[in-house]
Amino acid sequence: MDLRMKACDIRTDIVEIIHRAGTGHIGGDLSVTDILVDLYYKQMNVAPDKAADRERDRFVLSKGHSVEALYAVLADRGFFPKEDLLTYAQPGSKYIGHPNNKVNGIEMNTGSLGHGLSVGVGMALAGRMDKKKYRVYVVLGDGEMEEGSVWEAVTAGGHYKLDNLTAFVDRNRLQISGPTEEIMTQDKQEDRWAAFGWNVLSIPGNDIEAVDDAVELAKHIKNKPTVIIANTTKGCGVSFMENQVGWHHRVPTDQEYEQAIQELAQRRMQYAQDSE
Amino acid sequence: MDTIKRDPRKEFGKAVAELAETDERIVVLSADSGGSAGFKDFAEQHPEKYYEFGIMEQGITGIAAGLATTGKIPVFCAIAPFVTCRPYEMFRNDLGYMKQNVKIVGRNAGFTYSDLGATHHSLEDYAIMRMVPGAVVLAPQDVGEIRSAVKAMMDYNGPVYMRIGNGAIPDLKKEAAFIIGKGEILREGNDLTILSTGSITGEVLCAAALLEDQGISVMVIGLPTVSPIDCEIIKYAAEKTGRIMTVEEHYICGGLGGSVAEVIAQSCPVPLKIHGVPHVYATSGSYEELLRYYKLDAKGIAAVAKDFIA
Repeated sequence: MDLRMKACDIRTDIVEIIHRAGTGHIGGDLSVTDILVDLYYKQMNVAPDKAADRERDRFVLSKGHSVEALYAVLADRGFFPKEDLLTYAQPGSKYIGHPNNKVNGIEMNTGSLGHGLSVGVGMALAGRMDKKKYRVYVVLGDGEMEEGSVWEAVTAGGHYKLDNLTAFVDRNRLQISGPTEEIMTQDKQEDRWAAFGWNVLSIPGNDIEAVDDAVELAKHIKNKPTVIIANTTKGCGVSFMENQVGWHHRVPTDQEYEQAIQELAQRRMQYAQDSE
Repeated sequence: MDTIKRDPRKEFGKAVAELAETDERIVVLSADSGGSAGFKDFAEQHPEKYYEFGIMEQGITGIAAGLATTGKIPVFCAIAPFVTCRPYEMFRNDLGYMKQNVKIVGRNAGFTYSDLGATHHSLEDYAIMRMVPGAVVLAPQDVGEIRSAVKAMMDYNGPVYMRIGNGAIPDLKKEAAFIIGKGEILREGNDLTILSTGSITGEVLCAAALLEDQGISVMVIGLPTVSPIDCEIIKYAAEKTGRIMTVEEHYICGGLGGSVAEVIAQSCPVPLKIHGVPHVYATSGSYEELLRYYKLDAKGIAAVAKDFIA
């Protein structure tokens, strides 16, 4: 299947999960979707029955609030039954509002920003020590780059030249209170990472082919970790959510839900026609 | 009691290095802190098991979590407040929440960086580290116990915080296997029980001897595991002596005393005196001066005990 169509399906699942549960970080889920789809359907060596395989690729969603996107992908890939997500956000459910490793396929508990890249550095370092072939992928938010602890990990990743590590910055330019540039300047991300010794790729992050090309390229870069600055649109795929700061954590009304589902279906149909 | 005193940091480093000779999983992480943690020789002999990161305690705690996900046992030792207060959320989320098999060791704890002031004192580590569900908090009392506790900590699968002191501490007892969660009667007595943890236990035993001279018979129990606390031995002490005092080189709130109070209040109510450092940013001075100032030297402890049972 055209991965663009798969991304439409995942976005539809995300909107459904959040509408049903009445909670979720919809804007960031929709901006990060194409990255997750490329990793989980094409690039990463992961599978439901290999969740503990020592050779598997590792994924850390450092911007843990986008967990609904990860749930949608993992369920669709068969890591757990889709029906499990009916319990999402209910007391006693393991499907909570941020990633935790009780859920099959989730490597790392995240939620507080500024943790995941350090963990990824540790995983990558271990891979090198043990001469494993696996790769480590970490997705950060652009607002998350304000956390000082991220830069400790960037420093260490560059110092140890961890070429088995690829980080993404989901550069959607919005955070909960407003545009990132108004909250705290985030410009020149490329220069910032490069100064720490990282290989830097800057791409349109909702173009799944561009994502795939960048991930592929990163695999062949030696002696440097790679960061992919994924220039994305918050709320991508649903017209009235796109680039709207209010959709960081808003829940669609029934009417908005219907419209979002329709728009995603139309987009999917268009991709289906394209690929015929 | 042996009068020879030994440097706990060196003994700690040696103990880890010995285990790492045969246990491939052990990896030592340094925040520009390895040499002072007794790892100088180890770093030279085993560069493949020793990683320097510079001064980034938050990053290292997370990196340790990542290493542990692959089956390694990372050991991270630095000045106590810098591995407890500074990266606390990393300990809570990346280690505790996932029960990662990482060993965090706070050296030069308590007042041992006495003259460097409150930034370098560690007087809240028992309290904050025991708040993380599932985390084990250890405070061995002499160098033999440090060695056996290091072994026990490596055998335990999960996050551990261990506090060790600086300077030179006396040998208090014969080296024996360390059982996490178990206290030990170090001296028998009938009038009062003093529960102690960490290297201050040396002063407590001296205080007990002073009190004996004054006709007061004190049972001393060492609790080198602050969490999980040994409820049974506390109940036994309450029953036997009817009065309990706790002594710790730590604030009087939330640490050993707080932990013991939780047990006593709910299981065996008896009069309790919690003795330690008042809840303020402490003054500075030499280590011995600070112990005297806060009545944590043998004389001070004996005086507080005498007042308590008067």
